[in-house]
Amino acid sequence: MEQARAGEYDAFVAARWSVLFHLARLLTGGDRHRAEDLLQESLVKLWFVWPKVADEAPEAYVRKVLARAAARSARRRWWGERPVEELPETAAAGDLSATVAERSRLEAALAELPPRQRAAVVLRYYQDLPDRQVAEALGCPVGTARSHAARGVARLRRLLADVIEPVG
Amino acid sequence: MDHFERRLAGLLRQDPEPVPFEPRHREALRAGVRARRRARAARRAAGYVLAGAGLGLALTLWPHGPTDDRPAAPPRPASSPAPTPTTTPAPGASVSEPPSRSPDHTPSSPSMTPTDTADSAPPEDTSSTSLPPTATHEPQFATATGRDHGGTTPPATTPVTEPAGTPSATATG
Repeated sequence: MEQARAGEYDAFVAARWSVLFHLARLLTGGDRHRAEDLLQESLVKLWFVWPKVADEAPEAYVRKVLARAAARSARRRWWGERPVEELPETAAAGDLSATVAERSRLEAALAELPPRQRAAVVLRYYQDLPDRQVAEALGCPVGTARSHAARGVARLRRLLADVIEPVG
Repeated sequence: MDHFERRLAGLLRQDPEPVPFEPRHREALRAGVRARRRARAARRAAGYVLAGAGLGLALTLWPHGPTDDRPAAPPRPASSPAPTPTTTPAPGASVSEPPSRSPDHTPSSPSMTPTDTADSAPPEDTSSTSLPPTATHEPQFATATGRDHGGTTPPATTPVTEPAGTPSATATG
């Protein structure tokens, strides 16, 4: 029983790890280490409720835990910088493609948003969830979720004005 | 959804570089599960300990002493059998009220003064000395012996009845 449960869980995690990690990375504004920690925490929580949610929607459960944890942990002071012994890889000139550059700008702009606005934008535009499900994931009223998403998009519009040029 | 929002959604959904689920991720997950399980067990054990301690404390502090278990109302009527209404305390009055009762005793007992009662009677003694029949019996006994026995004086009560003087006077006369 325990072996079967562990096998199903491992299969789910291995299959969805990359997608969930990408979601966690967007929710944390591109912080890879923090995204990994957040995803680990959420998957540990998933293990204890696996018998209940395995047959229904385990990914939706992880998404909800991730979004709420991202919003909650970001309420604490988070400096987002860690001292390391060696400098991280730096991009050489002409090494980056336009797509990667856009992606870096996008993550930097997401990091500028307040955590709840960021979570609302990510759930709304990356996960393509309706307002009701965004509100459910964030644990707030629908109007509040819609407001968070609208404000987040408005701010991103200013931050990414040079990346996403308006259609003239 | 305008152009910017569509473009934003496209940027967000760009295929990132795939991140494989590595053995170190699996080990970290297992370690997290074990740590959370230990934390749950510790929390549950702490809950049991706290509940047991609370129960023990409640049982320790539960009032079960002999003085507290004794009913207060029934012994009072039994301990105050005074027939006279002046000496019988009210049901609500406690035994520790000697000054209010000591003046009532002075007319019936000539040997006791209010000052004596107030000075020499501690609260424990007032319950014993507040029995009026013993004090009121002495004069009645003295007059009864004088009436019943006529001129004969009882040997035991002679010293007591001498100060009154009335039995011997009625017997001779």
